[in-house]
Amino acid sequence: MSFVIILIKASLIYGGLLGTAAAMTLAERKISAWMQLRIGPNRVGPGGVLQPLADGVKFIFKEEVTPDGANKGLFRLGPIMAAAPAMLTIAVIPFAGETTIFGIDFGLLSLTDLDIGLLFVLALSGLSVYGVILGGWASNSKYSLLGGLRASAQMVSYELSLIMTALTVVALSGSMNLREIVEVQNTGNFLDWHCFTPVVGQVGLILFVITTFAETNRHPFDFAECEPELVGGFHTEYSSMKFALFFLGEYCAMTVMACLTTVLFLGGYSVPFWEDAPWIVQVGTFMTKTAFFLFLFIWVRWTLPRFRYDQLMNLGWKIFFPIALANLLLAGAVISLS
Amino acid sequence: MVVVQRRELTFWERIYLPEIFRGLAITFKKMFEPRVTRQYPEEALPTNEVTRGQPRLVVKDDGNIACVSCGLCEAACPAYAITIDSQETERFIEREPERFEIDMLRCILCGFCEEACPKEAIFMSDELELANTTRQGLVYDMKQLERPASTLKPRIDYVRRINDRW
Repeated sequence: MSFVIILIKASLIYGGLLGTAAAMTLAERKISAWMQLRIGPNRVGPGGVLQPLADGVKFIFKEEVTPDGANKGLFRLGPIMAAAPAMLTIAVIPFAGETTIFGIDFGLLSLTDLDIGLLFVLALSGLSVYGVILGGWASNSKYSLLGGLRASAQMVSYELSLIMTALTVVALSGSMNLREIVEVQNTGNFLDWHCFTPVVGQVGLILFVITTFAETNRHPFDFAECEPELVGGFHTEYSSMKFALFFLGEYCAMTVMACLTTVLFLGGYSVPFWEDAPWIVQVGTFMTKTAFFLFLFIWVRWTLPRFRYDQLMNLGWKIFFPIALANLLLAGAVISLS
Repeated sequence: MVVVQRRELTFWERIYLPEIFRGLAITFKKMFEPRVTRQYPEEALPTNEVTRGQPRLVVKDDGNIACVSCGLCEAACPAYAITIDSQETERFIEREPERFEIDMLRCILCGFCEEACPKEAIFMSDELELANTTRQGLVYDMKQLERPASTLKPRIDYVRRINDRW
């Protein structure tokens, strides 16, 4: 029985994740169009809602090109490494509390309830950069190589502040278990959400969101792609479904990171003024909060120009890292004083 | 030598974050402004008498073609797009075209034929769309080029008005 329940949960969560990723490709194009006073894709289906489907079909039927001199094994591994970690990390995100549907006890609405959930997410999302590096290295192209190189340097300078900021939340809630982090914030009073912790919460939230952009290779930190200088960066040589996998990986990573931000700072599935809301309300709340961050990803992308490479290094090491460290210290001080 | 004076950024601008929020506010506002895209095949391009589209031949109100096959447009055409063969006619003019072809793939829509024509027989219409599956299909013969004078009226009036300036 429990096996069936896990199977149901897995298919729902992964279906949801892939659906979100597909919807995000459309949302990206639509919102960018709106911001530039255009209309955006509107030919496939009513209002263009079937565009991701058409894109998918197109990707499948495209010719797969493996460049001459490419390292075939690594070349194939690249897209998998880019997409798989992002899809794995969704397993520990709790979408709602204890759930009973039609008298069947579904337990916590997440695939697993790891005690080191946060560590699991951070470790795996750190792994996803290997996809970019491998893809860049194996392509046997200077543009790809530069893209991969940048991705690795960027990851080193950003992961640190990201983890420091996540640690702040761990310190505040006293657990690495994502369910417990949410439960600490789920008191019916939304001022208990970590983003409303004076100073520490706000600085942490802003820092975390910014580093998330770097983590997922999104604007304004997408040096690994960087069309004007590097053609397409690490995925210059990729075509067909391999390219689509990179894309899928990016959007899945965005979704997971948006979920994580929600869990860490916005109280996950906790509904304001309603401590034990029914699961459907909790899931709805969770999705609304996540949707905001997903929108933020797109919003920022179409607002800011790309940073310069050295500016990113400056920002990462000289500004974000000290701030994240100070923030962690401050969080420690707040906890020991209260 | 020009020395570019760069303004010192204020502290507010140097922390960068407020400026980011300002930028985000601008892009958010833009999302609700009217669109500028024209959905082309459904929403046709606006045309008027100044539009210099594809050249068309005038058919007078009495049903005869206005062209007298003088060959001036053929000579004026910089792209050699026009081909005219003449024939005798019963009408009280010397000749009329037997064959009048414009290769629309060669035509550059310059309007020289319209300027050269002494009989007000060829005008730039407001027809702009050009598509076919073969090259030969885009060599328009007389039947395809003929338009009643009434449909070309705004352009004819416009050209007359312009020509009266000189």
